[in-house]
Amino acid sequence: MSTDLGAPTAAQPVAQPETGSQDRPVALPRPEVTPAEPFAVPVPIRHRLDNGLTVLSYDMPGQYIHSLRLAIPVPVHQEPVDKEGVATIMARTLDEGTARHTALEFARLLERRGVALGAGVGESGLSMDIDVAKRHLDYALDLLRQCLTEPAFPQDQVERHVATRLAEIEQERSVAGHRAAAEFWSTYFDPTARASRPVGGRAETVATVTRDDVVAFHARHIAPDQATLVIAGDFGGIDVIDSITRALGGWTAASAYQAPPPRPSAEVASDRARIVVVDRPESVQTEILVGCPGPDRRVAGGWAPYPLLGFLLGGAPTSRLDALLREDKGYTYGVRASFRPRRRDGVFHTSGSVRADATVDALRLLLGVLDDAREGFTAEEVQHGVRYLTLTAPGRYATADAVADEAAALAYDGLTTEFTGHTLRELAGMDAERVGTAYRRFVDGQWTVVLVGDAAGFIDEIRELGRAAVTVVPT
Amino acid sequence: MPDISYPLAERTLPNGLRVLVSEDHTVPTVTLNIWVKVGSRDEVVGRTGFAHLFEHLMFQGSRNVPSGEHFSSLLAAGGRLNASTWFDRTNYFETVPKGALELALWLEADRHSRLLDAVTQENLDNQRDVVKEEKRQRYDNAPYGNAMRDVYATIFPEGHPYHHPTIGSMADLEAATLADVHAFFAQHYGPNNSVLTIVGDVTEAEAFELVERHFGPLPPTATRRVEGAMPPLPPLTAPVRFEHRAAVPNDRLYLAFRLPADGTTDFLAAGLALDILGGLSSSRMVERLVRTETIATGLSAHPMGLAGGVSLGIISVDVLDEVDPAVVERAICEELDRFAAHGPTEEELEAAVAETERSWLSALAGQDERADQISHYAALYDDPGYLNSFLDQVRAVTAAQIHEAATAYLLPQQRAVVAYLVEPDAGGSESPGDLTSVQAGVAQ
Repeated sequence: MSTDLGAPTAAQPVAQPETGSQDRPVALPRPEVTPAEPFAVPVPIRHRLDNGLTVLSYDMPGQYIHSLRLAIPVPVHQEPVDKEGVATIMARTLDEGTARHTALEFARLLERRGVALGAGVGESGLSMDIDVAKRHLDYALDLLRQCLTEPAFPQDQVERHVATRLAEIEQERSVAGHRAAAEFWSTYFDPTARASRPVGGRAETVATVTRDDVVAFHARHIAPDQATLVIAGDFGGIDVIDSITRALGGWTAASAYQAPPPRPSAEVASDRARIVVVDRPESVQTEILVGCPGPDRRVAGGWAPYPLLGFLLGGAPTSRLDALLREDKGYTYGVRASFRPRRRDGVFHTSGSVRADATVDALRLLLGVLDDAREGFTAEEVQHGVRYLTLTAPGRYATADAVADEAAALAYDGLTTEFTGHTLRELAGMDAERVGTAYRRFVDGQWTVVLVGDAAGFIDEIRELGRAAVTVVPT
Repeated sequence: MPDISYPLAERTLPNGLRVLVSEDHTVPTVTLNIWVKVGSRDEVVGRTGFAHLFEHLMFQGSRNVPSGEHFSSLLAAGGRLNASTWFDRTNYFETVPKGALELALWLEADRHSRLLDAVTQENLDNQRDVVKEEKRQRYDNAPYGNAMRDVYATIFPEGHPYHHPTIGSMADLEAATLADVHAFFAQHYGPNNSVLTIVGDVTEAEAFELVERHFGPLPPTATRRVEGAMPPLPPLTAPVRFEHRAAVPNDRLYLAFRLPADGTTDFLAAGLALDILGGLSSSRMVERLVRTETIATGLSAHPMGLAGGVSLGIISVDVLDEVDPAVVERAICEELDRFAAHGPTEEELEAAVAETERSWLSALAGQDERADQISHYAALYDDPGYLNSFLDQVRAVTAAQIHEAATAYLLPQQRAVVAYLVEPDAGGSESPGDLTSVQAGVAQ
């Protein structure tokens, strides 16, 4: 280490700081903000192909790169319990070779026209993303068709992706935020719920996934009739519905296909209100994750208060959590809070990393902020948050990828960006009373708490807080 | 390829502030983006991390703006804002509804000229703590979190401005004083060392008028940094390496190369060579190591453009469990040799250019990123029109130039290797806590 604190250089100033501002001109009066123009969230033109595929199209002039998002509500709860992760392996091997091309050939076909294609599985289902220059849209759609309708799932590529996923599981375990999330879900949900376990599977289940499993899962669950294809971009001079129909109109379900059954509600564990410490000796920070049940988008009284609550509590350095834990105490780089809707019910999540030796005080203060919020929010706070969320909307939905992402996320829930527009209109009329009521409806002080850090440094004091039963688990 | 062409107008105020305006009326928002020509490369011994700590203080109030109000007043006006610090620069930016552009300019002018009235020991201490937690969260408490720090320290010589990371060291952050804040502001912050870009729903005339109103009266107090003054740093002539044993989940190697400075054809050519070698899914190294021989679970390669006489090229690879990392490194070196011997195929060049086109156009899709690119190339390369000419420049690069760049900059003997290796007795599942220890050989 050459860091030499004893050798200040020429840039080190003298002991008496200069004021430095005497010669600066006086500022002009603070300008007023003129009212923003009314803004409407883009809404799609909806089209349904004969094979059942729903197409949502957004013409966005000036967006030269088209963003396509295919959302298929593949039910991960239908994965065989000893094969969990098979849907993820299937998604990752869709473009690793088709009936006519090897994995390498297919990668070359994508990249020679700059087609970015990704596929993955989340809680809601399979997603496939394509970003492509407008002039290569037809080319990209044909490659998408090949992935969907004639994937080869080569044995060696399936095996490779199993090995990669196994390595990824270890990598996720080593990252405090990932480790905290995994422990949170397994604590929060009842062990019988699929949602209590990682979407991508655990090491012992992923290791057993074979090519046959992947082929069977694909045949049973991938079909157009429940799928939604979102496309956003500059449509000037082209007919995107015609292009999509030509490429995907012939996509049909395999004979083994089973339409997804109603999704079971994920049961919350009866003992979820407890504190779990994942012990990581020598950690210099503690990752904190706190949660409780929240609403889904169809909650009585409306969804609009919940994005606002997330912002007011943990959406910016001015939010209640950061105002205290970051700007006042300096314990953290930032704490984030958000209500995360699921298809049925949802979860209210708060998370952040704090200095190891401040763990107990940080948790005490964090829970205090969340509990105190049951007493409500001021009209001024609510107005501040409403203005932020409504006035930033034009910028947040200005690009093709942002609109396509929003539309695809909602598609799994049977909604479109009309819902986003509705939420913004509701927000504009929000008052403090409604916000407080919405919060109290779900937050009752019963928290699931996960701490990932050096347990020896704080475990006794965490117990002394008396918030809930405390368990320690190895990392 | 139909060429993109974003409008661009430019004016330099008498106080030296360079102003760029690009009208875009598709969305009723405006991005204001300011690049200050100071980054971690300008830090002095004993004060690493200071440029970034200073950036945090820019949000803690100025003469006419109480602490916290920069954020709260822009958020309430519908602004999204942030700032960041890197080797060559510090940038400040917000995207606001067009009716709030003048407020944004007023707030920026106040902190860019009248910051020091509001800086207090309390604010400094608080943001020092915040930055230390940022360092812990992003680097010290993350597996491989300090690997890039080790890359910089290994490939750039002691004392070189890029030898230390932007986040700095805990000891130096601890040592920062209010006097440092005053001196740093006086030296680096002022209209004559900054570039201001406006992109969005405003006319050129309106934008220039507003900027002149709020920034025109500010005196040119900074010491203007002259670009292009850092001498070129030639490639390594023999491999160097740094090995770190830690409780990481798998062995990971970083192979780093000194490339030419950004803004040059050689840099573009070297960057395309890296894409072809390892930056694409169809790249040679990915095909061989990941898909065919399956000795790695992932491999990526990318150029990191820098302005000061040298850039970085990085190949990183995750070694499959139980495979000897030496085997992986040897395979990469063989591919480097093979590429240096024969250069790219036309098909490879086509893919690398196509991928560059798409990612560039994606990046420019939003006003915020577009403004940042304009500021970037105006501030560091005196070339604000780069956003319109970049793709033509990329397409003009020939296979021969890429081949030449590879033989000049991407040979095995020119590599610096940073290896993060699984601790033998730790397995892949222990705490990453000991990653915070600084190993011999990493000098800051």
